[in-house]
Amino acid sequence: MDNQKNIYKKLLPIAILLLTTTNTFAQKVVRYDLYVKDTLVNFAGKEKRAIAVNGQIPMPTLTFTEGDTAEIHVHNLLKEETSLHWHGLFLPNKEDGVPNLTQMPIKPNTTHIYKFPIIQNGTHWYHSHSGLQEQIGMYGNFVMLKKADDKTFRNGIDDLPTLPIVLSEWTNVKPENIHRMLHNANDYPALKKNSVQSYGEAIKAGHFKTKLKNEWKRMLAMDVSDVYYEKILMNGKPSSDLKSIDGKELKAGDKVRLRISNGGASSYFWLTYAGGKITVVANDGNDVEPVEVDRLIIAVSETYDIVVTIPAENTAFEFLATTEDRTNSASMYIGNGIKQLQSPQPRLKYFEGMKMMNDMMKMNGDLDDMGMNMSLNQMDMNVVMYPEITGDSKPKQSENDPNRYNANALADIVTLNYAMLKSPNNTSLPQNAPVKELKFELTGNMNRYVWSLDNKVVSETDKILIKKGENVRIVLYNGSMMRHPMHLHGHDFRLLNGQGENAPLKNIVDIMPMETDTLEFNANVEGDWFFHCHILYHMMSGMGRVFSYENQAPNPLIPNPKLAQRKLFADDRAFHFMAENDFATNGNDGMAMVQGTRWSIGTEWRLGYNDHHGYETETHIGRYIGKMQWLMPFIGFDWRYRKLETDAMGNVHGEKNLFGQTNTKDNRRQFSLGVAYTLPMLVVLQTEIYHDGNLRVQLMREDIPISKRVRASFMVNTDKEYMAGLRYIVNKNIGLTTHYDSDMGLGFGVFLNY
Amino acid sequence: MAISVLLSFTACNAQIKNAKTESVKIYGNCGMCETTIEKAGNKSKVVKVDWNKDTKMATITYDAKLTNPDEILKRIALSGYDSEKFLAPNDVYAKLPDCCQYERKAQTVAKVETPKTEVKEDHSTHNHSAMTETRQDVSQLKAVFDNYFAVKDALVKTDGNTSSTKAKELLTAINAVKMDKLTTEEHTVWMKVMKDLAFDAEHIADTKDASHQRDHFMPLSENMYALIKVSKTETPTYYQFCPMANDGKGANWLSKENAVKNPYYGSQMLTCGKVVETIK
Repeated sequence: MDNQKNIYKKLLPIAILLLTTTNTFAQKVVRYDLYVKDTLVNFAGKEKRAIAVNGQIPMPTLTFTEGDTAEIHVHNLLKEETSLHWHGLFLPNKEDGVPNLTQMPIKPNTTHIYKFPIIQNGTHWYHSHSGLQEQIGMYGNFVMLKKADDKTFRNGIDDLPTLPIVLSEWTNVKPENIHRMLHNANDYPALKKNSVQSYGEAIKAGHFKTKLKNEWKRMLAMDVSDVYYEKILMNGKPSSDLKSIDGKELKAGDKVRLRISNGGASSYFWLTYAGGKITVVANDGNDVEPVEVDRLIIAVSETYDIVVTIPAENTAFEFLATTEDRTNSASMYIGNGIKQLQSPQPRLKYFEGMKMMNDMMKMNGDLDDMGMNMSLNQMDMNVVMYPEITGDSKPKQSENDPNRYNANALADIVTLNYAMLKSPNNTSLPQNAPVKELKFELTGNMNRYVWSLDNKVVSETDKILIKKGENVRIVLYNGSMMRHPMHLHGHDFRLLNGQGENAPLKNIVDIMPMETDTLEFNANVEGDWFFHCHILYHMMSGMGRVFSYENQAPNPLIPNPKLAQRKLFADDRAFHFMAENDFATNGNDGMAMVQGTRWSIGTEWRLGYNDHHGYETETHIGRYIGKMQWLMPFIGFDWRYRKLETDAMGNVHGEKNLFGQTNTKDNRRQFSLGVAYTLPMLVVLQTEIYHDGNLRVQLMREDIPISKRVRASFMVNTDKEYMAGLRYIVNKNIGLTTHYDSDMGLGFGVFLNY
Repeated sequence: MAISVLLSFTACNAQIKNAKTESVKIYGNCGMCETTIEKAGNKSKVVKVDWNKDTKMATITYDAKLTNPDEILKRIALSGYDSEKFLAPNDVYAKLPDCCQYERKAQTVAKVETPKTEVKEDHSTHNHSAMTETRQDVSQLKAVFDNYFAVKDALVKTDGNTSSTKAKELLTAINAVKMDKLTTEEHTVWMKVMKDLAFDAEHIADTKDASHQRDHFMPLSENMYALIKVSKTETPTYYQFCPMANDGKGANWLSKENAVKNPYYGSQMLTCGKVVETIK
């Protein structure tokens, strides 16, 4: 017996040695150590907090060759949790890096090791999947090279001098604050971008009717993107020179391959090149048949491999990435010598866009594609706003032209769309597998910044069960007013784009309003896989689903699935706080509100400076109903103290409302039941019945955009109270006001909002 | 005296803090250029540009803490004016008024035609003569193809005038082809189609009526297709088909882009059609 034990003891190290050696023969382990640390940066004039990995933003470029094993040690030196997601990679579910879904978050001052085999090649990227960390520096290039003997190796493409580029944006505003402001429909970013679209501006542009109709249909002015960024970055720089690659100086005639990932949190970028055409050779890490275009838009989190040529001696040609709203851009000058610039994308014609939205929007909030079957980015409604496509002023195309949204038909330049992508290989799914078809409508509410699938956010739904081996087909229809880059973790899907068995493989599909796209994939890796909109602020609002395999083994990294789920759901269950107060000569007027996806708790107050003016507060707890959230039933509590007039006899003169009901108390405490409904022109009709039987009906509209910086508001109710006011916006948090109030008279004030 | 000099000096720079002045060359022609250049460069309290149309030199005074000459020169280049550091975008330059179309001395003209051939040449010095010959082949038929594409583009826009001019150039290119420089395959096809090509090109050139031009563009396209099939081109060509053209019988054309732009209907039905073959 003893002997036997000894033999085992002796054999064990040998066995281990044998195992490791076979390992080294079979595959190379490539190890990276990533130190995640808080840092201060100055990208746009102010020192701000950011997160650097190994002291740099973007995070270091990780390079592997297909067949390697990746071993990535993540050392969290932050004071908060983190995680890293390997975007577009095929890997075991527990390595996918989604906190509270595929692993527990990496706690401060701990190290987490990701280890997985590299079984694909192509351009990908990686980023934090925790909170809003991606916005402040946690994105980087992730490149997987083909093996030298790979059959798909393309001479003239895969052997070109190559540079990985990760695009991103920087804002001096804290991302948490951006997220909060988006939920409170703060239009300060529009002001910064000069895209307010007020009545004044509408009249100037000859579009008064357009604006009126827009408000009639209960829409707020919108832009193609909602966040204002101070800087756009390519590999962390707004402007850079690419003079040589791998020590070899670039010269005329050279071709350069750029592996571009869009690591921006919420920005799409137009890519253009001063040296001529751009040849697209891969998308989302998968080869496509080369296609020559003048420009392309890269959706949030997509990757494109492009080839550009340096056409002349002694010249560096500008490669330009411009935000979709055209307010900002980043440049890289490719080559040596004088810099040949690319013309910037002209400003958007916002009112043409508003007119287009008016036509599309039905009164009930649904979108109407007017019989055009839109898909694959081929028809772009936004072309009505593009001067380079539809001319500088009024669109020249007639109302009935079937091509009036087709950029490639309207202009000489060629814009890439998904229908032009073709895989060089047959990408058909296994023939005999059962097919599971799922349909989702992308839904959203612009005004309240609620984003969802089928009007349900992540926390309101169960995981969607799929079976290993089946082919999952997903039909997506975008019924919301913004475009969404939908991303599937852990799998590539085929985008059915008319290329038959050569349908391109992708892991993100950008889908514009009113488009329908179909994608399919073979369910071949167990796990819980996230499927979500990759616009960071949409994802955090709950726009996604989790696909889960039936009867799969539990994930060893999720010891307590219930707790993990609760923490995952916390993201879209978060409430957003706002507060404002007008410090005026005739009193204080203000409100504070916390709002979630469905619930709203708000308190308004009017505090006079003496008893005759009175003091009053109203608190409402309500729930938004329906996709458009125009209807909100609520319960309320009112408190009012106001010294009422007494006549010579000592009788208190009560106040009579329009219904003849009176109240004579100067100290009122009342519970109420009510309902608020948003009428056309965005006027809120609020009907409220108090527990003493009094009824109050009120009409109110706030934030009527009069000019770029002036907002008007009014209120009138059946208690014979009324108010009208004007506010001038000084900056993000400060305004100047004047208003007239039936209780408090005329006043001027300083308005503060958070 | 010294004080007054000092005063006047501070006065002229009163608006700009941390002022630094540089003198740079900016290409341009006239007084109109001067207005555009200065307007593009100036920024209230930060930058003052003064350009002299005779010397082509600009004096740039700027707040060194807030900006730098590169930023200023880039803005000026984006308004259409080259400097030693930046070249204006070609489309912006092209939109300048005639009097402002200055000579672009700073720009190295892109090697006309194909950088690809140039690269090949670099690598094959030992086989120089053979290389040059292939190049000639390419350029001979290339002119034919290029002019064909120009005619097509004009027809896409239903621009009868331009297609007429381009067809004339096409005819010239056809007549200029030296048959003995063609490969055997090309030669065979060329002999078959040459007459028809010339015939149709001539007829397109003779009229400015787009619908008549389109009648001839159909056989022209068929023959071009036969020719391009046996000829080597550097970029893929797309053979496209619209089932509605030719009174519902359908018609083909060739395009350099795989996005469909139909030359038979113009803006009425621009994207009717599909790619039926990719020729490499």
